[in-house]
Amino acid sequence: MLFTWFILGGAIFLLAPQSITNKFQFAFARIFNWPLSIGRNISLSVRTRQQPTEGIERRKYIQLRNHIANVEAQLAVELQRNQQLSGFRKKHPLQNARFVFANIVAASTDELVIGCGKEEGLAEGQFVLGDNSIVGVISQASANTAKVRLITSAASQLPIKIGAENAMIVGIGKRLAKIPYFQTKHNVAVGDPVYCRPRPGVLNSPMIVARIAECKEDGEQPLLWNIIAEPACMIKSIDYVDVIVMSDRK
Amino acid sequence: MQWIRFAVLILPASLLQASLVDVMKIKGISPDLLLVCMIFFCIYANTSDAIITSFVIGFCADIATLGTGMGPHIISFGIFGTALAYLNRVIAMRRMPYQSAAIMIVGFIAAILAHLLSRLKGSSAPPDLYSVTFWRCLYSCLIGPFLFLPIAWWMRTKSRRRKRY
Repeated sequence: MLFTWFILGGAIFLLAPQSITNKFQFAFARIFNWPLSIGRNISLSVRTRQQPTEGIERRKYIQLRNHIANVEAQLAVELQRNQQLSGFRKKHPLQNARFVFANIVAASTDELVIGCGKEEGLAEGQFVLGDNSIVGVISQASANTAKVRLITSAASQLPIKIGAENAMIVGIGKRLAKIPYFQTKHNVAVGDPVYCRPRPGVLNSPMIVARIAECKEDGEQPLLWNIIAEPACMIKSIDYVDVIVMSDRK
Repeated sequence: MQWIRFAVLILPASLLQASLVDVMKIKGISPDLLLVCMIFFCIYANTSDAIITSFVIGFCADIATLGTGMGPHIISFGIFGTALAYLNRVIAMRRMPYQSAAIMIVGFIAAILAHLLSRLKGSSAPPDLYSVTFWRCLYSCLIGPFLFLPIAWWMRTKSRRRKRY
């Protein structure tokens, strides 16, 4: 009898909408924010101590490399606008954006839970930055916490740009993503930056999201590249993120 | 069953599982502390207590595991915890090798069922699901019987049978 009641309870949890059941996970993250953050910081510091020189310098290098890539993309947008509207003063692409700083409360290979929510202006669909690159998108937000779906999650799909060509980046787990249906007539090389395409109201300038880690011809479909991309930053080593919140002020 | 002691044990175990277990990672594989706790209670508690603890630990596992949603671990831990508790009435698993085997087998089957159930909720399974689950259960079964000693001390459980003279 006891078993039956508990199974019934489990089935209710399983079949209930995720927006309702996620409240339990959000409550857990909110109540135990402090011990979870401490635990994560200890994990990060242990990992960093194992690679004392390489870890810190590489992370700084990646931050700066992503920053340069973003500035180059913004510069390209500015040049394009200048050509189109020479003589008019325009706003900087991210001038209306507000960056909400949030610490990471808990992390898995597919998701992050961050310590900011709707009260700070977060909403579903907003882009999340780590080390100056896009690491994911807000998938669910409660009052004080939010879930971030990482770009490497198998449930993640983002419109991207490689060079001048549009494509999609799809997570495949294992902290990697793939770029399907990219034709071999377009030139790509390992290390090329992959930019997230602007989306009205969420992102108004391309930002780096990944770099190409592997690029070879698809054996089954010779006209397509088989491209594997890795995130532009080391997601597992970041301890805080910034969420891009676009404000409506003119 | 001392439920306050149980709560005090499970809460830190859930927090450790959610945040600090990365410290114990070897080649990207971390142990499942909540699975070890569940097997402990299935072996050392009476049957009805084992059923309750299995479902409660499953609930904690769902809360502490990101990306699966709620429900899969409650059901999988509940079913296999209950089965193990009944099996324990027939075959007493008091020796370490048996306990390790129980952690390995129950952990693997419960993890696979949890992944299948989480796919019902739209979660995607990692491509190397079986190998990751196998190594995770192997790691857990190697350290599990040793973790039983502090858990037994905390729960005031007699983990060793008295010898008959």
